[in-house]
Amino acid sequence: MLDLQGYGPRLLEGAGVTLQLAVLSLALAVLLGLLTASAKMSRSWLLHRTATLYTTVIRGVPDLVLMMLLFFGGQMGLNLFTDMLYDQFGVDWFFNLNAFVAGVITIGFIFGAYMGETFRGAFMAVDEGQIEAAKAYGMGSWLLFRRIRFPLMMRHALPGLSNNWMVLLKTTALVSVIGLTDMVRVAAEASRATHEPFTFLIPVAAIYLLIASVSEWIFARLQKRYDVGFGEH
Amino acid sequence: MDQLNQWLAGLLEGNVIFTPQTLGYYWTGLVTTSQLVFLSLIIGLVLAVPLAIGRSSRHRWVSLPIYVYTYVFRGTPLLIQLYIIYYGVVFVEGIQDSMFWPILKEAFYPALIAFTLNTAAYTTEIFRGAIKATPRGEIEAARAYGMSQSLTMRRIVLPSAFRRALPAYGNEVIFMLHASAIASVVTLMDLTGAARFVYARFYAPFEAFIFVAAIYLCLTFAILYLFRYLEKRLLAHLKPLGGN
Amino acid sequence: MADTQIPLEVRNIKKRFGDTEVLKGLSLKANKGDVITLIGASGSGKSTFLRCMNLLEQPDEGDLIVHGEEIRFKQTRHGREPADWKQVVSMRAKLSMVFQSFNLWAHMTLLENIIEAPVHVLGKPKKEAVEQARALLERVGLTARADAYPAQMSGGQQQRGAIARALAMDPEVMLFDEPTSALDPELVGDVLKVMRDLAEEGRTMVVVTHEMGFARDVSSQVVYLHQGVIEEAGAPQDVLVHPSSPRLQQFLAPKY
Repeated sequence: MLDLQGYGPRLLEGAGVTLQLAVLSLALAVLLGLLTASAKMSRSWLLHRTATLYTTVIRGVPDLVLMMLLFFGGQMGLNLFTDMLYDQFGVDWFFNLNAFVAGVITIGFIFGAYMGETFRGAFMAVDEGQIEAAKAYGMGSWLLFRRIRFPLMMRHALPGLSNNWMVLLKTTALVSVIGLTDMVRVAAEASRATHEPFTFLIPVAAIYLLIASVSEWIFARLQKRYDVGFGEH
Repeated sequence: MDQLNQWLAGLLEGNVIFTPQTLGYYWTGLVTTSQLVFLSLIIGLVLAVPLAIGRSSRHRWVSLPIYVYTYVFRGTPLLIQLYIIYYGVVFVEGIQDSMFWPILKEAFYPALIAFTLNTAAYTTEIFRGAIKATPRGEIEAARAYGMSQSLTMRRIVLPSAFRRALPAYGNEVIFMLHASAIASVVTLMDLTGAARFVYARFYAPFEAFIFVAAIYLCLTFAILYLFRYLEKRLLAHLKPLGGN
Repeated sequence: MADTQIPLEVRNIKKRFGDTEVLKGLSLKANKGDVITLIGASGSGKSTFLRCMNLLEQPDEGDLIVHGEEIRFKQTRHGREPADWKQVVSMRAKLSMVFQSFNLWAHMTLLENIIEAPVHVLGKPKKEAVEQARALLERVGLTARADAYPAQMSGGQQQRGAIARALAMDPEVMLFDEPTSALDPELVGDVLKVMRDLAEEGRTMVVVTHEMGFARDVSSQVVYLHQGVIEEAGAPQDVLVHPSSPRLQQFLAPKY
């Protein structure tokens, strides 16, 4: 049988970190994605340009480089800021950028750009007539978004969303490089310590596959729900 | 050459971080990254063609193992694949006595193997999708004109599938360029490795990483434009003439 | 022994899809120079019958004899299959088919479409194939479109190009599967004219069509199919002008 040489609990903990990181990053990415999509579709030149710059730059640079820039650079920026606070106002406050928070922010920030493209396409695929109908019935903009536009849009967004989630899940492995103890880091450490890389790395790979397969199933169910009323295809 | 060096020295005067020496690191990094990405893409492409044909086969004993391979390699992080090959290669029976050991003990080759297997898996699925999307009528016409199965594959299915796969393959090339950044994790001095080195040496995260990000951005755009050009040339046949 | 003078003969073709028998034992003989039109309502099995003639569909029963050579079949667990695919390939090279949806190869120019099978199936030298293709393009009035891709041509041009592609095989028999059904009405005339010319020069043709005018004027024999059975067959004036079966009378009625 598989002998994890006492690394079992830590691996499990690491898997928990991976999952939390992935889910929280997804939430942030969806939020940023919705904002980006709205900015891209807005009439404001500035908003449109900013959103385009954001999606272009993020999608043109490796995740790992962005992660290091935000993590290492972010800490330095924070230090400069707190130093300034102390010098100017005598406020003695120090904030240590936690690797987990940095991970969530970075991954969320990166995938917000991809989500932005997904949502923009999906919003544009919504039939405007149905939006007009909602306006005609006196729906305010928030109610209209929540009850009509969002559910209609989700049908078109889900395939892209599911795809982004699968890529995001795998991207979480990179946080092990900036020092977060996710399951990849535990497995890599254990491999080096015990000289038995397969014992640790293959189960971790299997956990990724498991999470991916479960998510695939969940997304298929969701798609079914949002497809209601659109017939079979 | 001397003139260039002088010009560069003048430009960099008073700059502590971007000395000719650090720029040299970035240059070495660029060369390593290019070699890794280019080689893995080429070998991956060559592997992917027969794999995609096998994956489209009606015989389950051909298509199933290929499906398992692509599922595993597309479903797990490249970093894990890299670790497994990098740490695991030592444990392959007798490998240290074999003639390949001098090659394999360096980080470059495990990384190349991991990247190649990874891109081959994605490319296989891209090609399979393109093969599946071949209009049935075109295959039927080929059969009706007496083409054998292999001739139909070679002359009709593959040439049109390659063209259809072009946009998706362009994304895969960019994806591979970005994914190659993890080579730095196994001590390789690629572009990202150079940036990490400069960061560690001068404790200058913004300079080190923004500079390398700009290089990646330029490379990404170059690839993007190359594929846009290829698409324009090779996919012309799918567009109706304007103003007809 | 089979008669080598007869380009195409099929005997007692039966075909079922699942539980429905779509062809219930059909026979047909095309002598040299014959133009046989198959007519019938949609679902009568006429296209399936035609597709059985070059084995794009595998008939469950029946014989297929091309130029005196009988196609051999064997039973497998998937049903009946040709025993020798090489024989099928060389048989198909003697019959060439024109499809309803043209099925030109989208990644090749029209000229490349025409020389593809002659060069790679018949092994013709490329130069010769190109010369022949240019002559054929002139015949169908498409000289100017030789280097166009299929997506850049109108449906009528594509179908005339597809006919040129079929002719390039120097076929013994040409099979037409509703060649004008996918075309806009104003483009049908050009394609029919090319087909009339081919009939006049003595080509052996089997045509599935809804064009009753073509069937009446051009064919030597009209075959009316109903639910997988040949309900009536004979010279066009007998079958189309004086139909004896009430079903055929009904089929023809609304069109005249």
